[in-house]
Amino acid sequence: MKEVIIQGLAQAYTNLVHMLAEFLPRLLVMLVIVVVGLLVAYLLKTLLRAVLHVTRLDRLSEEAGASRFLRMAALPSMTELLSRSLFWVTWSGFILIGISVLGVAGLQEQISRLFLLLPAIFVAILILFLGLVTANFLSRAALLAAVNAGYPSPKIVSWSIRFVIWALAIAMALEVVGVARQTVIAAFSIIFGAFMLGLAIAFGFGGQDLAREFLERNLKEKKREKREEPLPL
Amino acid sequence: MSVGEVDLLVGIPSYNNAATMGQTIATIEESFQQNFVRDRVVILNVDGGSSDDTRNILLQRNERRNGGHRGLTSLRTVHRVSWAYGSAPSSGLAVRTILAAADLLRAKSCAIVSPTTTNLTSSWVANLLRPIYRERFDFLAPLYTRNKFQGLLARSLLYPMSRAVFGYRIRELYSDEWGFSGRLASQCLDQDVWHEEAVRTRPEAWMAVTAISAELNCCQYFLGQKAAPASGTGPDIVEAIRQAVGSLFWCLEKYESRWLNRTGSQTVPTFGPDHELSEESPPANPEKIFEMFRSGVNELEPLLASILASETHAQVKAIALLDAERFRFANELWVRTLYDFAASYHHAVLNRDHLVQSVVPLYRGMLYSFLVQHANSSADEMEAGAEQLGLEFERQKPYLVERWKGEKLR
Repeated sequence: MKEVIIQGLAQAYTNLVHMLAEFLPRLLVMLVIVVVGLLVAYLLKTLLRAVLHVTRLDRLSEEAGASRFLRMAALPSMTELLSRSLFWVTWSGFILIGISVLGVAGLQEQISRLFLLLPAIFVAILILFLGLVTANFLSRAALLAAVNAGYPSPKIVSWSIRFVIWALAIAMALEVVGVARQTVIAAFSIIFGAFMLGLAIAFGFGGQDLAREFLERNLKEKKREKREEPLPL
Repeated sequence: MSVGEVDLLVGIPSYNNAATMGQTIATIEESFQQNFVRDRVVILNVDGGSSDDTRNILLQRNERRNGGHRGLTSLRTVHRVSWAYGSAPSSGLAVRTILAAADLLRAKSCAIVSPTTTNLTSSWVANLLRPIYRERFDFLAPLYTRNKFQGLLARSLLYPMSRAVFGYRIRELYSDEWGFSGRLASQCLDQDVWHEEAVRTRPEAWMAVTAISAELNCCQYFLGQKAAPASGTGPDIVEAIRQAVGSLFWCLEKYESRWLNRTGSQTVPTFGPDHELSEESPPANPEKIFEMFRSGVNELEPLLASILASETHAQVKAIALLDAERFRFANELWVRTLYDFAASYHHAVLNRDHLVQSVVPLYRGMLYSFLVQHANSSADEMEAGAEQLGLEFERQKPYLVERWKGEKLR
């Protein structure tokens, strides 16, 4: 009995030593990969930051109005945001590679899935960013045009444009990531279609007189209105 | 047709101007016959893809040269050249083509006239060319008799601000007619700015600022009354501000090293009176202009907050709350507002075209204030007011320099 116990313990000890002998080099490899990944990620971040400074991305982002939204969301500048994103995406990739080296059963499949998702997530973030910039630029252009032309409710026009572009960007981003793909497409089609149909009905049926007045004012009386203000030059 | 070297060149940018082109050519020819009989001259039409007979009119006139000019005959050939520079009109491209021709032909004195000016006279053409040809000026700006309530963007913004910033009292930086030397043409051609929006839309202002910045000799010549453009032509307020104010702000950016340390302003040699106002009744419905100012300040509040200093913005919002009867846009506030805009343009706090468009409601406020204040003023009183505004721009220039050099507002 005693011998069996000792033999069992010895076997367990041997197995543990054997496992540790197998695991520790892998752990070491993982740590090396993570540290190398950290260095590579830091290098890429510094490189990207320098390139973006040279290309004056912050100025572009400021002009397009995207920086204002970043500040509202307490986020850093566009250059900093993109370089930090690259750092974390790169380092996360190395960490996942390191974890896969450990050879822990069950983790391999999950890591593979995560790897497949990474580019999609990056593309989705890019789509959202471009959507944000485009929505902000076009809605501001519409607001200025409406205000300077003296149209009523310019903010409604501006927010409508912003809403449509945001909805489009969010739907595209979710579709890229593959989250409830069918639902997103269907929901977007319904919302966008309903919005446009609502506008068409409101303007076509409910506002026939308004539409006529609007067109007449713009097409027929534009010249007369233009002359109500003295010539600027 | 070979032209060779010329002494004088008159450029005519055109686009669908068949109705007035014949008269413009005849006037220029008449001016040559009367004033420059011994000089080598060329008329250069640069066309932006007219779909009417604009270019044919020039070519047809070519065949009956010297016909019916009151017996006067030039001793030289009056060359006429027409060139289509593209399929769409572009002021910048047209002027660049004219400058290139002037440089190629070694023209000593050049003028640009517009076929849309319906009351162009032969003396105008001569007066645009002669000071440069005979007295070695490099840039000549026109002066016109202004209607009391027209051209207020030029009088309340473009002239006083450019005067304070660049230090030269040139009243008409933005015009359809101007003159320049071959030397200035060569200098302008050498610059890599022709792709810039400000140069493409308003090349004349950029040429003037280039001449000022290079300390070339500038002058003004009083031409007379300029007929108002036919209904439907000429830019409206929004387009005029986008072009002219955008161009002025761009010139500030481009030539900052030339003006940041300059103080005061100096007059330039002027032929004839330096201003003249004709009587005109004010617009019938200025209240609408005030309403557009008020709604603009309200609707664009977030944009204005990012452009204007907080104190300036607070004052603008305060005056927008006043009744139309009590409303006044004080010179001091107007000047500080524009300097805030110029500095924010420099710091690119938002898209620059959007920033310039945001000037429109505030200009309407100033316009309304001016119309009410000067409804019954004499020409002298209005000129005194314009001079006060010019001095206010000069007095506050250190504020512009401070904001220009400082950090953006946040």
